[in-house]
Amino acid sequence: MSSSPRKRPAPDALVAGVVVVILIALVAAVFMSGWGDTLYPPKAVTAEGREIRGLYDIVFAVAVAIFVLVEALIVWSVLRYRRRPTDVELPVQTHGNNLVEVIWTLIPTGIVLFLFVISWQTLNHISVVSAAPDIRVHAIAGQFQWQFEYLDASGKKVATQLAPVYDTTTGEGGMAVPVGRSIQVTLDSPDVIHAFYVPRFLFKRDVVPGQTNRFEFTVDANEAGQVFRGQCAELCGTGHRTMLFNVIALTPADYDAWLAALTAKSNATPAPLPSGPVLNVTAEGIKFDTTSLEAPAGTPFAIVFTNKDPSGISHDIDIKDASGTVVANQDTINGGTSANYAYPALPAGTYTFFCSIHPGAMSGTLTVK
Amino acid sequence: MATHALTPAASTAYRGGLYEWLTTTDHKKIGIMYVVNSFIFFLVGGILALVVRAELAQPGLQFLTDEHVYNEMFTMHASVMLFLFVIPMLAGLGNYVVPLQIGAPDMAFPRINALSFWMLPLAGILLVSSFFTGGAASAGWTAYPPLSLDGPLKSPGSGQDLWIVGVILIGTSSILGGINFLVTIFKMRAPGMTLFRMPIMVWTILVTSVLVVMATPVITSGLVMLFIDRNYGGHFFDPFGGGSAILYQNVFWFYSHPAVYVMILPAMGVISEVLPVFSRKPLFGYKAFIFATAGIGALGFSVWAHHMFTTGAVFLPFFSLLTFMIAVPTGVKMFNWVFTLFRGQLTFSTPLIYAIGFLTMFLIGGINGAFSASVPVDFAIHDTYWVVAHIHYVLFGGSVFGVFAGLFYWFPKMTGRMLDETLGKIQFVLMMLGFNLTFFPMHMLGLAGMPRRIADYAADAGWNDWNMAATIGGFVIAVSILPFIWNVFISLRNGKIAGDDPWEANTLEWATSSPPPPYNFDHLPEIRSERPLFDARHGQTGH
Repeated sequence: MSSSPRKRPAPDALVAGVVVVILIALVAAVFMSGWGDTLYPPKAVTAEGREIRGLYDIVFAVAVAIFVLVEALIVWSVLRYRRRPTDVELPVQTHGNNLVEVIWTLIPTGIVLFLFVISWQTLNHISVVSAAPDIRVHAIAGQFQWQFEYLDASGKKVATQLAPVYDTTTGEGGMAVPVGRSIQVTLDSPDVIHAFYVPRFLFKRDVVPGQTNRFEFTVDANEAGQVFRGQCAELCGTGHRTMLFNVIALTPADYDAWLAALTAKSNATPAPLPSGPVLNVTAEGIKFDTTSLEAPAGTPFAIVFTNKDPSGISHDIDIKDASGTVVANQDTINGGTSANYAYPALPAGTYTFFCSIHPGAMSGTLTVK
Repeated sequence: MATHALTPAASTAYRGGLYEWLTTTDHKKIGIMYVVNSFIFFLVGGILALVVRAELAQPGLQFLTDEHVYNEMFTMHASVMLFLFVIPMLAGLGNYVVPLQIGAPDMAFPRINALSFWMLPLAGILLVSSFFTGGAASAGWTAYPPLSLDGPLKSPGSGQDLWIVGVILIGTSSILGGINFLVTIFKMRAPGMTLFRMPIMVWTILVTSVLVVMATPVITSGLVMLFIDRNYGGHFFDPFGGGSAILYQNVFWFYSHPAVYVMILPAMGVISEVLPVFSRKPLFGYKAFIFATAGIGALGFSVWAHHMFTTGAVFLPFFSLLTFMIAVPTGVKMFNWVFTLFRGQLTFSTPLIYAIGFLTMFLIGGINGAFSASVPVDFAIHDTYWVVAHIHYVLFGGSVFGVFAGLFYWFPKMTGRMLDETLGKIQFVLMMLGFNLTFFPMHMLGLAGMPRRIADYAADAGWNDWNMAATIGGFVIAVSILPFIWNVFISLRNGKIAGDDPWEANTLEWATSSPPPPYNFDHLPEIRSERPLFDARHGQTGH
């Protein structure tokens, strides 16, 4: 045939070649300029996370190579083989080619088998759960609050952290762990499915009701003093995005002091009932037993608060005024416990009392007069 | 003997336009109704997505101060897009095209075909009506129990029940449609149309129908169990009553992973029709492509638990290996398509442009899916925005571009008029820009640790810029749909007359008039290959 593709005018090929080269250069520029860094996970802070990162880097390199190859082939074909007015006769009717088809079946098979094997090896490394870890933490995820129980070697609870988020001003809250030690976390849920996710660990594990999940990690020694963001990663209802927590990396000595303080706090006798008027409120089934309370103006008062929901589901009773400003902020208490909350003297007016964890489902009117 | 004139038979009496559409059993009219109905729900789902993107543009709750409403928005966005747009849109194209492509006068069971269609608007009304009956479903389109069970902080309203009933109806419609396709394809092919001469579109619908018929009953039973749990005190999925929350996930994904192939295989079929026609070459590796399609279908049943890698209740290596293996037949298809273009003579009409859009974008969706097959990497990216990026590169970059390739390609056959090429190209450019601006940054968001399904995020989390970009992109996509609506509107009135075969195509639907008569064909050309019209045009010399 006179107009076989090989004898076509050259400009299409030139344009196509230049465009392909420019596109490849663009991809290279993205990585050279540092913009490519956004396509990598953040720097891992655990031994396991670093292994996952190493695996990610390999998978990503293979992915970019395949992407550039195929995308270049598409762009080349599209620009090069434009139909010209002179193309009256048909192009060569290629129905296939067994050899190339076998090749492009076998090579990808080899690539994915390679990726599978290295993934499996990494999985085996990071999935090790030892019988005697250095530290045991029992993380309980309830709607919509994390709590962390610290266990001794026999699995007995020694302290409970009810405040999952690290407060930068008070230095309280969060799940502290010593660097360089193996931390075993067991996960339980009293209600729906949640997920323990710390982006800097490059790791998450679901918290499934009725099934105790378990994983282990070791924070790198040079991360002592760092605070890492954590968050529930499995949709768990209206407060899903508020289920935040922090992991605090401490030196082993600092950790021991931290745990001792938490233990002391957990074992402290509850605050005695202050003098003055006392109200009683009970929470059960994500509801307060009352939607209206009354308190005298200008006098401190107290609420004896009983949380009858299952362990793992926390509540408190905070108060906000008509403008929405929170005027009393109490610590949450776990299900199955009670507390004496002391409130300051309030001027007369109408206030809202609410559970800070379930403000939608649990609130009522406090009349101060 | 007395003779008297024959009176016209009653059945030929004039039927009003609306009455005709409401009662038709013609697969072409039903196919068009599928397409129109699906497009309406595409707009509904798109508006829901815009609400989600508007809320996420900046940290802080701006529009949906009641987060429950936010959860309803993304739940219904996904449910509407998957169950009422992608699946029925592709089924609708199949409904229109398959009987024509195999030279049949209609589907095997025309009344069941009408029934399958009419269940869809009904189910759609049920789903959408839940917004007005106390709140729509809000447990995500996956509806994982215990969150989807009855109870405070779970899903106490009737919205979840309406959702279950709606999805069961859609599933029933799919099963009926799948059986109808299978019988049609196996029993009603024209003489000479052997299995290995069928157009790839027909093959993909065939494999899709097998998936639908095998997988849909499984989720239907799961949803019935969920309904019993919610309303009659069953404890199938209630871990505090002896049930298992993970059981639901296995049942759900046993359908919903194959469903991903239900949502992409027919779109692959569309572009496998378009690429050869506009390259003036046969599809490279026709049989290999068919085996790859069947391979994806078969493997599709053994990878469901890759959605559950982080549950701690999955045999990880098995599902990892098989998920990786799916990349092989998918890669074969990609090379087949590219080598169809290679050394062809390309005419850049709108169908080809959208098909090329499919190739370039689905490639990304295929590659970023392989990250999830690697279990440890999945531990990092599961349930983050990375996964949102992945599904949209597959379902938008793949399916939606495929759908528009198909709409531009077959609109002339359906209506007798061409869509406007310039408007089509404007739409493509806007859609391509908006799509990438929306979904590419989601890779970065996911890697940076942003989980899915959150209404708000901390301003100092480092997610602000990418979220703003994604929101702007979302609105660009919305704008890109306007030229299409305008295009359909003006082309129906003033579009260029198409003629039987405006694209110099290969397959039988172009051998009849545009639009075809109710019985489809006056006569059929000889069928000696997968390109009977090509053969008629060029004879054996073409090969």
